Amino acid sequence: MQLPSSDMRPKLSPRARVQTDKVTGKPVVLYPEGVLMLNPTGHAIVSLCTGEVTFREIVEKLAARYKISSDEISPQVAEYLNRLRERNLLESEK
Amino acid sequence: MNSAAPRPFSLLAEITHRCPLHCPYCSNPLQLAAQAGELTTEDWKRVLTEASELGVLHVGFSGGEPLQRPDLTELVATAREAGLYSNLITSSLGLDRQRLEDLKRAGLDSIQISFQSDEESLADKIAGVSAHGRKLQAAQMVRESGMPLTINTVLHRANIGRLEQIILLAERLGAERLELANTQYYGWAFKNRALLLPTRAQIEEAIPIASAAKKRLLGKMEVLFVAPDYYSDRPKPCMNGWGQKYITVNPIGEVLPCPTAHEIKSLRFDNVREKSLAWIWKESEAFNRFRGTEWLPQPCHDCEFREADFGGCRCQAALITGDAAVTDPACQFSPHRKTLTEFVEASQNGESSLNAGELVFRQNAGSQGKGKIITAKNAENTKKQKAAD
Repeated sequence: MQLPSSDMRPKLSPRARVQTDKVTGKPVVLYPEGVLMLNPTGHAIVSLCTGEVTFREIVEKLAARYKISSDEISPQVAEYLNRLRERNLLESEK
Repeated sequence: MNSAAPRPFSLLAEITHRCPLHCPYCSNPLQLAAQAGELTTEDWKRVLTEASELGVLHVGFSGGEPLQRPDLTELVATAREAGLYSNLITSSLGLDRQRLEDLKRAGLDSIQISFQSDEESLADKIAGVSAHGRKLQAAQMVRESGMPLTINTVLHRANIGRLEQIILLAERLGAERLELANTQYYGWAFKNRALLLPTRAQIEEAIPIASAAKKRLLGKMEVLFVAPDYYSDRPKPCMNGWGQKYITVNPIGEVLPCPTAHEIKSLRFDNVREKSLAWIWKESEAFNRFRGTEWLPQPCHDCEFREADFGGCRCQAALITGDAAVTDPACQFSPHRKTLTEFVEASQNGESSLNAGELVFRQNAGSQGKGKIITAKNAENTKKQKAAD
């Protein structure tokens, strides 16, 4: 899969709301007619989708957190962002 | 039995049946609730809180027209406090800048506006009232406020030919989600189904238009297209299974496993005025009657698709065969499939114009005398009368 440009700054759409699920205690993204249950990596990525942090920085932060190389983790981050985009949960790039 | 009750995800709060529109495809019951019987604000607040405690994550405020209730903002605020994601499912009639601002401040998460068509005269003819112009203004106002917008259009014979233009309208309005669902034939829609069901040629033309739009708009606008199950070989996995994910509470407080479960005359629905939502969800006869796949009749019981569609739709089984506990007649393996097929074949020569027949337009409870039926023709007259007033 093609990686997004490294200076792209993903931003969660205003239609998405992140909160803690009362039943499981885990983070979820709520959006019209949908729910996304987040695993720790997903939560870390979603939390960084503020429109301020670049793709490269997200990759570096996650690489540092999970102690693996940026090269290894960047396709996974790209894949996850793509899934968010397909659900229309990221603001479209201007 | 209660160990079998899964976690519900979504509550449809039908807070009133009152509606300024008269859409002949409405899936509300023919016997609409009158205002006097509606739940109070306190009742609804309790329902919302109980829903959240039960695990519900989404609430759709619907009806009728939910804006008809002046306490809507208060209910939205309660939903927000309870951690529910709230969506207002509306015609937009009754929405002004102040009300929108209030709803936003109360924590409303998104708004869904119905459009009857992209084109004013047809849209107003379907709605039975002049509404299209006001809807356009409301949609623009919603977008300007930064509130996420969904557009939904119920498709039928008279508007499915304008699918492409309807998609363009949703794009132009800046919608983030577009629902293009063919009419579901329950309630008023069932009464009008001979005039509403699209022809096979219309469906075959619509499907590629919807798929192309879905692809083209990926990441910009979510596009959902639902074809009528009358043309399908397999039934829909209705409600993702009975009593699995969804709860509907109607204006008078009855709790239903699906919004159209009133079609099943043999079921009795418990009321939030008497029982807790949790008890009704877990223990009530109505929710347990068709829960899971154990109860399934033949040919479903031994069918390889039984975990895919759970035997289809109970309401449709009841409406077409008189028995809610048989295989959905939309299924190719149903012994009743021929009833639907004959109906479908008889509908192939219908005209696509709305004047072609005598549509029965939805009416609020108690309006214009009991049992009076508004047809396309006298709805027009009512409209003219109103314009003259």
